Amino acid sequence: MPLSEALRLALDAIWSSKLRSFFTLLGIIVSVAFLVVVVALIQGMNAYVRENLTGAVIGINAFQVRRTPISVGLLSDDEVRAIAKRPLISADDAAAVAAALPGARAVALQSGWPTPVSDVSYRDRLVGDVPIFGVTPPYQIVQDYRFAAGDGLADPDVRERRYVTVLGYEVASKLFDDPGAAVGKHVRIAGREVTVKGVVAAKGRVLGQSFDGFALVPFSTFESMYGRRKTTVVSVKMADAAEVAPAMDRAEEAMRVAHRLRPGEPDDFTVDKADALVAFWRDLTRVLFTAIPAVVCIGIVVGGIVIMNIMLMSVNERTREIGLRKSLGARRSDIRRQFLIESVVLAFLGGVIGVAGGWAFAGLMSVVTPLPARITAWSVGVALALGAGTGIVFGVYPASRAARLDPITALRAE
Amino acid sequence: MSDGIIRIRDLARRYVMGQETVQALRGVSLEIRRNEYVAIMGPSGSGKSTMMNVLGCLDTPTSGEYWLNGHEVSRLSDDALARVRNKEIGFVFQTFNLLPRASALSNVELPLVYAGMRTRERRERAAAALERVGLANRMDHRPNELSGGQRQRVAIARALVNQPSILLADEPTGNLDSVTSEEIMRTFAELHGQGQTVVMVTHEPDIAAHAARVVVLRDGRVESDRSTERAAA
Repeated sequence: MPLSEALRLALDAIWSSKLRSFFTLLGIIVSVAFLVVVVALIQGMNAYVRENLTGAVIGINAFQVRRTPISVGLLSDDEVRAIAKRPLISADDAAAVAAALPGARAVALQSGWPTPVSDVSYRDRLVGDVPIFGVTPPYQIVQDYRFAAGDGLADPDVRERRYVTVLGYEVASKLFDDPGAAVGKHVRIAGREVTVKGVVAAKGRVLGQSFDGFALVPFSTFESMYGRRKTTVVSVKMADAAEVAPAMDRAEEAMRVAHRLRPGEPDDFTVDKADALVAFWRDLTRVLFTAIPAVVCIGIVVGGIVIMNIMLMSVNERTREIGLRKSLGARRSDIRRQFLIESVVLAFLGGVIGVAGGWAFAGLMSVVTPLPARITAWSVGVALALGAGTGIVFGVYPASRAARLDPITALRAE
Repeated sequence: MSDGIIRIRDLARRYVMGQETVQALRGVSLEIRRNEYVAIMGPSGSGKSTMMNVLGCLDTPTSGEYWLNGHEVSRLSDDALARVRNKEIGFVFQTFNLLPRASALSNVELPLVYAGMRTRERRERAAAALERVGLANRMDHRPNELSGGQRQRVAIARALVNQPSILLADEPTGNLDSVTSEEIMRTFAELHGQGQTVVMVTHEPDIAAHAARVVVLRDGRVESDRSTERAAA
């Protein structure tokens, strides 16, 4: 029997029991859709982290000199202990780095993780849980802040430990109906009266996270409010991307000199750029990527067994038809092929429906939630191949059962 | 060599069922010539079903020889037998055995599909076969849109479509009323008149009487083999 004929037969058989076919395929559909959705979300997040988050958190063309690496979550206990012994990053370190990098656009000191949160209030209005950053003025250059009203923090504010603040746009607009009216007003942060110097223009939201809900205070003021942080960070911004890598090398040298490290001694600090955040994210997703195949495999095996059962049932129901076909001259291979193609077409269809469903779901997710999704060709390919492969693997047994039927008994079957 | 299209010598078929051995055929010798119209009769348990299966190459004998159209077919492999069934034998069953979801035309095309014929030629041949049995205007009907007699005629067209050496009918009127039975028997007579070899297994003497020759089996042996008067009526 030619392939086209077998395909037509298979589609006809599947279509003749649409509902049963659909339920048969549920396992495959769900597994494949899961694969497509999860891969799409991870890929979407990857792209998003690369394109938006790193720029927003670290700054564009920027790198950081830190006591702890960004990817702190995936360090071994020994590494954590070694890092705990590192000296703190100080204003002197920032000065050393700045001296080594005369071409830098900005070298800033900022309070590190964990960032304290505080209520910010003005008269009867209050914005809760606002992250408070202690920074030196160049931080505002590193972050490419533009001011919607007023000015940024300046050197005298740090030197004289002034109680002044620069508010993120969201905080300002919640406290004052017109953010422009905030400048010069006295707000309360952590119970202290602080004068608003300026309001940073809106940066928008990334991953559903607002980047406008913060308050900056001078680095020195921050330390008197919250004490010294062990995770102070030096941020450096270069004029363009090509300068970042050589600048990181020079910053490392300057830091080694400042910390009086001998040749051969390991760095007691970390120089990270945005890539480190991406790498951290990648490490996280690698864990996910190893878990997905396991989940998908279980789904596919269960789905495959369902297909096998339904195909066996179908062979049983069509015993007479098989007998008839044999009496009309069908060879074993003709029958085997007919049923194998049917199970492959069935499972492949499951793959197609699953991909379509996953695609639609991923699309929906990226519309109604802040999670981005990016469908990748390889996940669709893998999903479809998995579908068809399942059909072959779990179709062999029912098909060979059908092929081996004795025509006389088959013809006599009820 | 004579012009015997079927030549059977000392054919025996034993079945082993658990501990018992059933002797379905115990040494049958028979020759059927081209363009004969033979009815095989016998009470149940006489071996006529086994005979039918062996003649139709659905089953192989335990011993003895079976020559069909000049070829020894009693020792062939499964696939070779499938080929013989496809080319040499046209089956007509008591229960018609049509595919319910396929049109009359598709049903008749089926043997040609397994013969590997191209779609267009297949269509033409199947249409011609349906015309031969008087169903030219029912080609696109499904079996459930046809009467019992029409269904059996579709089955006959399917049996004829590959120009088999023998038309092998197993109780072809068993599921039909007497008027329709007569109509089907007329179709067989016409085909016989056109030169077709017809072998029919039945237990109804009325139906067997349409054949030119009646072979009666009993206990796995040929009890009688005689020509009838009403030959080719």
